[in-house]
Amino acid sequence: MTAQPTPVLQVEGLTKDFPGVRAVDDVSFSIERSTIHCLVGENGAGKSTLVKMLTGALRPTSGTMTVSGAPYEPHNPNDARRGGIATLFQELHVVDQLTVQENLTLGMERSRFGFLVSSDLDDRVVGTLAAIEPSIDPSARVSSLSVAQKQIVEIARAASSGASVIIMDEPTAALSEREVERLFAVIRRLRETDVTVIYISHKLDEIFELGDAVTVLRDGRHIATRPLSQVAGPPELIEMMIGRAVLQNYTPRTTVSEETVLTADGLTNDLLKDVSFHIKRGEVVGFYGLVGAGKTEIARALFAADKVAGSIEFNGRPVGRSPKDAIRSGIALVPEERRTQGLFTSLSVRRNISVMNTRKLSSSGVFRSADEKAAAIEYVRKLSIATDSIEKYAEKLSGGNQQKVVLAKCLFADADLLLLDEPTRGVDVGAKTEIYDIIRRLADSGTSVAVFSSELEEVLGICDRIFLLVSGSLAEEVKNGPDADAAHILNVVTGGERRAAP
Amino acid sequence: MSVSASTDAMKSTVTPSSDRRVGDETFITMLVACVAVGLFVVASLAVPNFFQPLTMLNLVTNNWAVISLGVGVTFLLVSGNFDLSVGGIVALSGVLAVWFAQATGGVNALSTGFGFPTWLAIVCALCGALAIGALNALFVVRFKVPSIIVTLGTMLVARGIAQVITQGSQRNTNLPADFGVLGNLTMFGTSVKLPVIGMAILLAVAVFIERKTVFGRLTYWIGANPVAARLSGIDNAWHVTKLYLFSAGVAGMVGILLASEFKSGFSNRGTLMEFDALVIALLGGVAIAGGFGSVIGMFFGALILGVVTTAATGLVLSPDWQFTLKAIAVFLAVTTQTWALARRHR
Repeated sequence: MTAQPTPVLQVEGLTKDFPGVRAVDDVSFSIERSTIHCLVGENGAGKSTLVKMLTGALRPTSGTMTVSGAPYEPHNPNDARRGGIATLFQELHVVDQLTVQENLTLGMERSRFGFLVSSDLDDRVVGTLAAIEPSIDPSARVSSLSVAQKQIVEIARAASSGASVIIMDEPTAALSEREVERLFAVIRRLRETDVTVIYISHKLDEIFELGDAVTVLRDGRHIATRPLSQVAGPPELIEMMIGRAVLQNYTPRTTVSEETVLTADGLTNDLLKDVSFHIKRGEVVGFYGLVGAGKTEIARALFAADKVAGSIEFNGRPVGRSPKDAIRSGIALVPEERRTQGLFTSLSVRRNISVMNTRKLSSSGVFRSADEKAAAIEYVRKLSIATDSIEKYAEKLSGGNQQKVVLAKCLFADADLLLLDEPTRGVDVGAKTEIYDIIRRLADSGTSVAVFSSELEEVLGICDRIFLLVSGSLAEEVKNGPDADAAHILNVVTGGERRAAP
Repeated sequence: MSVSASTDAMKSTVTPSSDRRVGDETFITMLVACVAVGLFVVASLAVPNFFQPLTMLNLVTNNWAVISLGVGVTFLLVSGNFDLSVGGIVALSGVLAVWFAQATGGVNALSTGFGFPTWLAIVCALCGALAIGALNALFVVRFKVPSIIVTLGTMLVARGIAQVITQGSQRNTNLPADFGVLGNLTMFGTSVKLPVIGMAILLAVAVFIERKTVFGRLTYWIGANPVAARLSGIDNAWHVTKLYLFSAGVAGMVGILLASEFKSGFSNRGTLMEFDALVIALLGGVAIAGGFGSVIGMFFGALILGVVTTAATGLVLSPDWQFTLKAIAVFLAVTTQTWALARRHR
């Protein structure tokens, strides 16, 4: 037994092509048994595509995977479970109405003539749960548990179903600091019971605290797999993740006026902690942080879509109590989820564009149809939306053009402040550049723009000032310019700075 | 038989009208209109004496009440909400109008009312109908209870009140002479009654509102995507409230006109009308999920249902087959529409 032990999971030359993009490009690495293996990379580095191939949700274009030395070709999530790979998703899959024990045995019950019979299964799952988290009562109803406890129940279910590898995708996104500590203890105990954990997170401090080894992906390619003891610290990891200098085509703008249009003071809710800032006329500000850092919450608070404590003054007046009031006072929001929050997919482009400013197109409640058409055509041209007709249904457009329709809708509201929540998510590169150009032109003409983004290149490319958010607090304000330090920014938002502090 | 013929008629219209220039709504409305005409032709060939101008006219005049109710129900469906209370409101408002108009001091409780002048009785009955509408809006908008449950409840509330007032029977005595005028007034020297003209005006106004006004468009936006509508500055709650009041108002007027026509307030009047109104809207291509449909489609849906039921009863089948035929028509219509739209979107 002196030979190298068989890795629990090995991938060889794994490649996945999507139309027009190679999401994962010739990735090879292996994971040792009973370790905590971290997977890191920027947004779009190919992490989630890789995980989807491991769990059978996607089939690789080429390449092979082996689990404990045996070939592994999952066609669906059930194959993956049989192969010993379980996944802990961000959304939990527990049944609130059942007890913990019933949840643990869900789908594995033995029955005779349709009646449940008890078996050693119950003893086994209870044993597993007791081993990883003794404080959870197996007979408690799941609805009485906290999010963190439900997560542990799900981990226990995966472990007791005989999984040798458990993939955890950002498991701490919704947890408090204390709950994170508890989860880490559970993960360490899992490792002792011979389970391998693939841990995906953006929070680098967590990775250094928990992980045994790390695999870095960048632009779909495998950069390194190393024991964490051989990585000097967050800066080195960040360098591997970014690789090149972050593309910075930002040129300082001269059209920012000194006049403040929006002042937010002490914004506080479930997530936000005393966030204060101001935005000037004609300025592009960025809010940058990880998932769950509070970007969307700030955007929705400014738009009066959610209740928040603290004060928001726009042009010297309070914003109001509903999105309707916000739009009246001159604020428009491009929401985070285009299809569910921004677009009327079953309506035509024309009917989408007019929604936020019907007053401009109607006299005493009746649409002036010629004006409506003209407005739609004008904005389709202005934003070069690729559609053969303004009567085309919004759902038939590509992602980038759909996003431009949502943008057009907001521009048509004649807003003085545009809030853009992830404005280029799921948008192709061409449309991305066009959207950036539109944002710059708008700002030059005196509109203020706030960009809420989890893409560093995006905020470094277009924003004049960048607010860094860490779990609901405003950690730092960075003035953009040629000397803006990308590594420092990443370090702050991933919690590296917090760790370095004494 | 007429059933299999309707499928053929639907199929044949799909291919030629899959023109890209035509919107989905126009497409479905045309489809429904073609089916209505096709069924009419089939029925004319199969049923002796069916093809007469009077038959066509009767299809509309006999169904004025359900078509009128269908207008409010269609708007609400487009906004993503059900209204099953309209049948109950028809009963309630009719009974209330009679009760308020009945003279005081009758021989027994059922012939004793408030002695209001007819116009005041009508206004008060309408207020009763609007109160049910307000109740619908309150529970759907404020308490976020699913509209199908709420309006099922208010349907029973309205009919229940009507039953108490009529003691489970009807009120038809001691009424002022002018009470029966509105429902029986014939127009332009023909046999066409005022309520039918009222329905025609209501349809015209509804089509205008739906197509041309901001109010109509708000209904589609809310139905197509309520979240996006709110984030686009639309006050969903207030708009849906107005729609429920509108639907209840129409139902109240229908109830009053029917009470006037028969000079009686009857607690079982309008039974199952809410389902007929829903059925013709669905037949007319209104999407049950909201955001899609038109009043014109609903009108042709009513014609389809009318042709199917009259033709069938004129054929070999007894009137007992009505429900079964309605069910078949609905299933066929809804599956065909889903299938035709899916084909178009491929």
